[in-house]
Amino acid sequence: MTMTLPSAAKPVAKRDGDHARDRSTWLIDRAPFLIACGMLAVLIAIYGTLREGVFSFEELNLDTAAAMTLLLAATGQTIVLLRGGIDLSIGGMISLGTVLAATQFGGSPLQVAFAAVMIALLGFAIGVCNGLLISVLRLQPFLVTLATWSILSGTALMILPTDGGQLPDFWMAFGNASLLGVSSSVGLLVLLVLFWVWFRSTRLGIEIRATGSNQRSAELSGVSILRINLLAYGLSGLFAALAALYLTTQTGTGSPTIGKDYILPSVAAAVIGGISLFGGRGGMIGTIVGAFILTIIGNLVFVLQVSSYWQPVVSGVILLVAVLASSLAEKSARRSLS
Amino acid sequence: MELIEAVGISKRYGGIVALSRADFRADAGEVHALLGENGAGKSTFIQILAGIVRPNGGTLHLAGQAYQPANARAAEAAGIAAVFQELSLVPDLTVAENVWFRREPLSLIGTVRKRRERDATLALFERYRIPAPAPTREVRRLTLAERQIVEIAKALSRDPSVIILDEATSALPPRETDWLLQLSQDLAAEGKLVIYISHRLAEIRQIAQRVTIFRNGATVATHDTAAVDDETIIADMLGRRMDRLYPPRIATATDRTALKLRGLSVGDRLADIDLDLKEGEVMGVAGLQGHGQRELFQALFGVSRSRGAVEVWGKPIAIRSPRDALVGRDGIALVPEDRRSHGLLLSKSVRENLTLSVVPRFTRFGFLSRSRERALVDEQLRTLQIKAGTPDQMAGTLSGGNQQKVIFGKMLLTQSRILLLYDPTRGIDVGTKGEIFRLMRDLAAKGYAILFYSSDLPEIVNVADRVAVLRNGKLAAILSGDDISEHRILREAMVEARAA
Repeated sequence: MTMTLPSAAKPVAKRDGDHARDRSTWLIDRAPFLIACGMLAVLIAIYGTLREGVFSFEELNLDTAAAMTLLLAATGQTIVLLRGGIDLSIGGMISLGTVLAATQFGGSPLQVAFAAVMIALLGFAIGVCNGLLISVLRLQPFLVTLATWSILSGTALMILPTDGGQLPDFWMAFGNASLLGVSSSVGLLVLLVLFWVWFRSTRLGIEIRATGSNQRSAELSGVSILRINLLAYGLSGLFAALAALYLTTQTGTGSPTIGKDYILPSVAAAVIGGISLFGGRGGMIGTIVGAFILTIIGNLVFVLQVSSYWQPVVSGVILLVAVLASSLAEKSARRSLS
Repeated sequence: MELIEAVGISKRYGGIVALSRADFRADAGEVHALLGENGAGKSTFIQILAGIVRPNGGTLHLAGQAYQPANARAAEAAGIAAVFQELSLVPDLTVAENVWFRREPLSLIGTVRKRRERDATLALFERYRIPAPAPTREVRRLTLAERQIVEIAKALSRDPSVIILDEATSALPPRETDWLLQLSQDLAAEGKLVIYISHRLAEIRQIAQRVTIFRNGATVATHDTAAVDDETIIADMLGRRMDRLYPPRIATATDRTALKLRGLSVGDRLADIDLDLKEGEVMGVAGLQGHGQRELFQALFGVSRSRGAVEVWGKPIAIRSPRDALVGRDGIALVPEDRRSHGLLLSKSVRENLTLSVVPRFTRFGFLSRSRERALVDEQLRTLQIKAGTPDQMAGTLSGGNQQKVIFGKMLLTQSRILLLYDPTRGIDVGTKGEIFRLMRDLAAKGYAILFYSSDLPEIVNVADRVAVLRNGKLAAILSGDDISEHRILREAMVEARAA
């Protein structure tokens, strides 16, 4: 016979304890993000003391423009990381995107708009292919996207072997246009934040996060993993194409090898901002903070007039701090539970 | 006409037959128990009902209509909700987000209306008096029992006409078990069908009107619960008269102390435990839920920080991490509480799981000796009678009882002779339980020292040589011989509470 003992633990009706615990776990869960915010504040403060006029719209416009390509690439990367995957192919897509823009843009605004939309759709389609390969052939995302990165890079080099091509002036003017002192880049940043606030609360956003958190549970709850893979990698490809288009407004050329500079920084920006490589945890706001940290480090290296090779060194140290922070937070959370 | 009619359902996975001729009939307004040993096909059958697995043959009818769900969604739409042992909750979502996952209330722009979602969750908890955690808590921060309750809430939120509970009480403390038993009866009284899978006969007798028994993938019998005795049910499950569940208790303890605790404390949950575990002894640990049993095991295995002195085979040691506890012949090995997340790597093979902790035992000059590894693995598969197709079968595809045996094998291969068994029979069928108890006595006879906790008190009463009863994190009594009875243990565990 199974005996029923009265329980000493009371799972209900201790709301005060729940609230205190909620607050402490809230802090622990967001520790990596909060630490990233702290690091960004410190970096901006240092930058501000080293240089005049850092706290101005002008500087904000400049830094946002400098960070925007990475931000767009990292947005797609964030979505894939939340799903528990990784997308290396964005490097190839960015190269290919700039090359296509440089060679296929015609002269008239209508032609340009058509070509830009086609490039964006191509990015989405290539991402969908990644998702398809990963789902149907059950291959590792790392390897699949490494392969597509290589294919896309080679294709870009075939179309345009060296930097070059011609972009219409109005296209480049668009990237640097401003309204009441606020540049189009800052406008894009605002759009990006709005997109994220919307996206993370949609059913698709939640399903992507859930699949990254625990694929089996999501599947048992009726999520189609194929659909999630197609859309997550599709969006990543789309954002890579947008990053390429934005990049051409800044550089004015097509660059068949430029994309590789964005692969690992896009992952680094997300991780610094508190996104777990194991999926399910973190958000785009953290990625934005991470991308600005990486950008400001570049500015600091320039202002301090030290070798530019310090930039990756400092970025690496910051990445280590971020990874350490999230690991410590997880450990302390576990301890407080047991 | 019955609500569910399944006739001759069959299912094969490759060469393995999970179900051959499963028949099942159950009516609206009843609690219908489904019983069988682990591996008898119960899980496969309910996965078919829930639309997760498609049968190879047979016919299914739901309320007179042919029923062939293409996926889990179709089953939900037909009004069937299942609560699986393998939980479907997403760790990084909150309780409310999990309950309404994919059915969230949406705004015009397609975003989730959080406040409404939370209110709906609270209303759901209120309606069924669900002892669930706050809707805003993240599931990965919940205990196993809390997750189980959220899982049940999620099923109830669909307002199903058929609700399937698979071993739902095995993770629940007594109070919550009582709640669930009451809930099942209430749901049946409302005209719903509750399909109740459990190994606890007492629960089944308490709430189920009928019981269907599976054996080796086929239906053996359906009985009216009131008209059948336990012996018949167990005989139907096992296909033979059962050997005694509990092996004879032959005293094998020696004077040598295997594990000596002095003043062991963990935070404020465990205080000043003095205990001597002898070579060849099985010592039970009992107490009300949450009175320090878990902390004791965690401290000994190095998961929780503890104070006090621990001596292993006469040598004082400091246990700070599981590695310290797991040192070869003189070490301590643990069978953990949650075998799915702590004890096994479900996606690795049986062989890898067995040998993971003991790689040095079959290395020669730093090289892996495959033949030695194979010999060790075969030996464990044989002695524990693990039912795996090959040693390379994925551990996650084994039945619960066989998974638990793999954990035992893994523990035995470490050659540690002090074993900590924390609820080793949770969710395991009677046949395997008996095997595990016999194994425990055999090991004790070989000089192993075993510390044993079970959520099923009669197991402790019938298997342990001595029983340490904990109360409020302190040692209340050590019982031995004829003093060991459920009545006496309960008294020792509660006496202070009664005085207060």
